[in-house]
Amino acid sequence: MKLEKAKLVVQGLKEAGVDFTAGVPDSQFIEVYRMLAADPEVRYVGTANEAEAVGVGFGAWFGGKKPALILATSGLLVATYHLARVNILHEVPLLVVIPYRGDIGDPRWMGLYKKTTEPGLDAMDVPYRVVSRSEDIVRTIKECNESARAWLRCIAVILNEEALW
Amino acid sequence: MVTRLTLLKELASIIPEDLIVVSSIGNNSGFWGQLVQREANLFHATLGMCTPAAFGLAMALPQRKILSLDSDGNLILNMGVLGTIANENPTNLTILVMDNRNYLGSHKREPGMPTATGGKMKLEQVAKGCGIESACTVHEAAGLREKVNMALSKSGPHFICAQIEPLDLDRPGKDKRVPDPRENKYQFAKYIERTTGVEILGGGLGNFG
Repeated sequence: MKLEKAKLVVQGLKEAGVDFTAGVPDSQFIEVYRMLAADPEVRYVGTANEAEAVGVGFGAWFGGKKPALILATSGLLVATYHLARVNILHEVPLLVVIPYRGDIGDPRWMGLYKKTTEPGLDAMDVPYRVVSRSEDIVRTIKECNESARAWLRCIAVILNEEALW
Repeated sequence: MVTRLTLLKELASIIPEDLIVVSSIGNNSGFWGQLVQREANLFHATLGMCTPAAFGLAMALPQRKILSLDSDGNLILNMGVLGTIANENPTNLTILVMDNRNYLGSHKREPGMPTATGGKMKLEQVAKGCGIESACTVHEAAGLREKVNMALSKSGPHFICAQIEPLDLDRPGKDKRVPDPRENKYQFAKYIERTTGVEILGGGLGNFG
């Protein structure tokens, strides 16, 4: 992805008030992870898997943090049990930012994630926005985080190829 | 071998009121909720979420002591968290694992299927191998008292594996309501807000506020 697009993602998180992030690095989104890891304002915890990241974010919320999870489309699948539980049973707000693989323009083998990402979020009752234009990245992250915290729900922002690459 | 209930009673008698306890689902939360009347409890952390949640709290509230009241099957589901914790080094976190070596569930009168600790896995060695230097195993109430008191007085992270009976035939009465996850969320969040000054729940109005 282009560095200026990664900067927009981090800018969106910071303007949204996100001060705690967790996830597992994804090669397609690596610039975002590196920037978060280097920025003390958005403390990044690298976890062993994405379900662990959900648990860490859940606990951080109870400590007053405004957490976001940075998950690959594959990682969303790993996180599903804990994310569904946190969203549906506990009703604790976690912002989830996902670089969208498998959409138009990606290799055929990534098509798996087109079939799992949006239907998976629907199944977990996680509302989401798909961002297709880079100029919408910052605003959408801020709006989704605001709604997550007001509704006490997990909300996802999916950034597709047109917005990021 | 000691029972879960005996160790939980011992734990209840020695911990300070402001120690934050995150407990795993099943009998850890069910028994703990019957034994204690305290606000600093986050109950019902499902399989794989107890120690990660306690770790997240420890990161967010470095001035507070956090105890993860976990179990062997629950911890093993997300065991990588021990490596994460070792690297992040939250000095205020203690992990106490009730290791009954089987997937007992909440109400069973016979042992469940074995966990990995029912075979060759030794959690104390796993924790040490992950990089948590303060790791030990206890087998009775006096040992638990000594190790918990040590953990609460010294910088961690600490890991205590408590070997307990495979069955929970020794059970508390059910005369208290253990709060459900949403009820517990509001109670616990308000307690944290009141005692630490952080804002958690917010106004609930979003852009309409």
